Amino acid sequence: MKILATIYKEFLLLVRDPGGMALLFLMPLALVIVMALIQDAPFRDYQEIKLDVLFVNQDKDSLGIKIKESFKATPNINLIERNDTNVVRSLVNTGRFKAAIILPPHASQTLRQNSDELINQVLSNTGLSDKRSGALKIEKIRIRILFDPVIKANYKQVLSGAIEKMVTGVQAEWIIDELQNQLSENKPKIKKVKLDLSGLIEIQQNNESEKNTAGLELNSVQHNVPAWSMFAMFFILFPLAGNYIKEREEGSLLRLRLISGTQLPVVSGKFIFYWGICLVQFVLMMMVGIYIMPLLGLKSLTYGNNVGGIILTAVSVAIAATGFGTLVAVYFKTPQQALSFGSISVVILSAIGGVWVPVYVMPGILQHISNFSPLNWGLESFNDLFLRDAGTQLVLPNLTKLIVFGATTLTISIFINKSRTVS
Amino acid sequence: MSNAIVQIDNVTKRYRGLQQPAVSQLSLQITEGSVFGLLGPNGAGKSTLVMMMCGLLRPDAGSISVLGQSVSNNGDDIRKHIGVAPQEIALFPTLTAYENLFYFGRMYGLDSAIIKDRIEYYLRTFDLLEKGRRRVQTFSGGMKRRLNLIAALLHHPKLIILDEPTSGVDVQSRNMILDFLTQLASQKTTIIYSSHFLAEAERICTHLAILDLGKMVVQGAPKWVLEKNPGSHDLEQLFIKLTGKNIRD
Repeated sequence: MKILATIYKEFLLLVRDPGGMALLFLMPLALVIVMALIQDAPFRDYQEIKLDVLFVNQDKDSLGIKIKESFKATPNINLIERNDTNVVRSLVNTGRFKAAIILPPHASQTLRQNSDELINQVLSNTGLSDKRSGALKIEKIRIRILFDPVIKANYKQVLSGAIEKMVTGVQAEWIIDELQNQLSENKPKIKKVKLDLSGLIEIQQNNESEKNTAGLELNSVQHNVPAWSMFAMFFILFPLAGNYIKEREEGSLLRLRLISGTQLPVVSGKFIFYWGICLVQFVLMMMVGIYIMPLLGLKSLTYGNNVGGIILTAVSVAIAATGFGTLVAVYFKTPQQALSFGSISVVILSAIGGVWVPVYVMPGILQHISNFSPLNWGLESFNDLFLRDAGTQLVLPNLTKLIVFGATTLTISIFINKSRTVS
Repeated sequence: MSNAIVQIDNVTKRYRGLQQPAVSQLSLQITEGSVFGLLGPNGAGKSTLVMMMCGLLRPDAGSISVLGQSVSNNGDDIRKHIGVAPQEIALFPTLTAYENLFYFGRMYGLDSAIIKDRIEYYLRTFDLLEKGRRRVQTFSGGMKRRLNLIAALLHHPKLIILDEPTSGVDVQSRNMILDFLTQLASQKTTIIYSSHFLAEAERICTHLAILDLGKMVVQGAPKWVLEKNPGSHDLEQLFIKLTGKNIRD
């Protein structure tokens, strides 16, 4: 009954504190929305590269035409043709375009000559032709790609890879063409075949999930909603510590200390109440992810099929967040100490936990350290459930860590509170 | 004395880092039904002594027993029978008077029906019944002080410790509080009354002790104490005589 009374008292204190309500519910929602919107572009960079690329076709022949056709079929690159190399250079080095491709004059002719050379060499070596003798004469075709210096390395890789793939494809086609020409020379009955080399190899990309269902790509919403939800849940320490220290300063906590047998109910009642608040925060932020994000032009949050696992994870994160908040509230004696330490520690834990940027883009040492952040345990679990459609068993180790963390911090809080009752 | 509610023997308490003990070799007895005035300038050791009586501070030396039990071993049991009204208004400002009292009643372990009865009784006694559903933050200083006192009485303690219970209240509220305390003492409830208002102490205390720098300066019935110190016509004169005129912080 004492615990229930404390929970009810905390409820009354909260509903009569509009500022506190806003801090607990509106601010986290605003945070999730703002962060998802801000990080939408960087996440698209990672996964949905769409580049406007200038193209100077000095070749004006079949290779240039092939490159243009190939890029038309490439969803991530939009080729814009220009004639003047100097203008193109200026557009790139002023940052108005991120890249430009310059195909040199006579590139098609050179490529054809190179193909002829190669085929002649092969055929003469095998005795099928006597057209050539002597060293192979290959003239390199120098296709230049100009990059804006600020362009990310992965853009460069994507563009270079795409051009190389196209030119190699054209070259292969022409080599086969030339081979057919040579072999059919003086044999008018042999009909040349047109070979489509593009269908020989198919690369399938699947986002793997535990249940062999189609996993999801990490996008801004999928990352930011769980990440900042956890961040906000850990910021429960603000109202929790603020409220606790205020009660201490006002004297009501002293009165409670003077009442027999109230230490456990007071601390655990607060813990349960704020734990419940964390869960409400989580539900609200999930709702924002599912229903509000699409209204803002973002993707809707997809949460997989393991609702039970999500509930367990939210419960575990809430236990860890509230336990940590309780410890900060009990340990520090002034609001300044508690709130300074609390905010900085949550920011650090969230940063190393992968809330700000995904852990896999962090330096190795930080990736190792992130294993010790409760926010990382929670975020990894949410990623497993949301993106990989994982079963509860997969996230259980992280949930255990969260619960142990929460239980440990709560136990220490009760111990500190009790030790300060009698000194 | 057989009916001693509080028995303090040679108690010393020194806070870490301080050379001067807060309480030094102090002994006193408080008998059942008495109103015991615990007087002294700032830093005299009154609050430390009260905290030790409630079991929230452990003495470095000596012993304290309350209601026949050693505080060191039975602090939690003893606190069930003690009601403390701290000097601070130890209430939740955004809760109503009723909600505050109901919460503290619950924390004392009382049943809902009993709490309701007692809340009504005390709110009526202290002329707060009509304001019971108002938030404490809207109360005047006197109303808050009365409510602060009620919160210490809900569980009908055998020993009530009041720290400056009339601080910041008007004459009417003060009169009401003092009358109530006198009535309570007549029903065998023991009251420890710590105050800087010496005229009040003289009016309601059956016994008193003046502490200074952690030591007992004088103790006894007010009349007896004044007789033993000729030249002082009232407690205030005696207080200044015994503790000096220097400002204490």
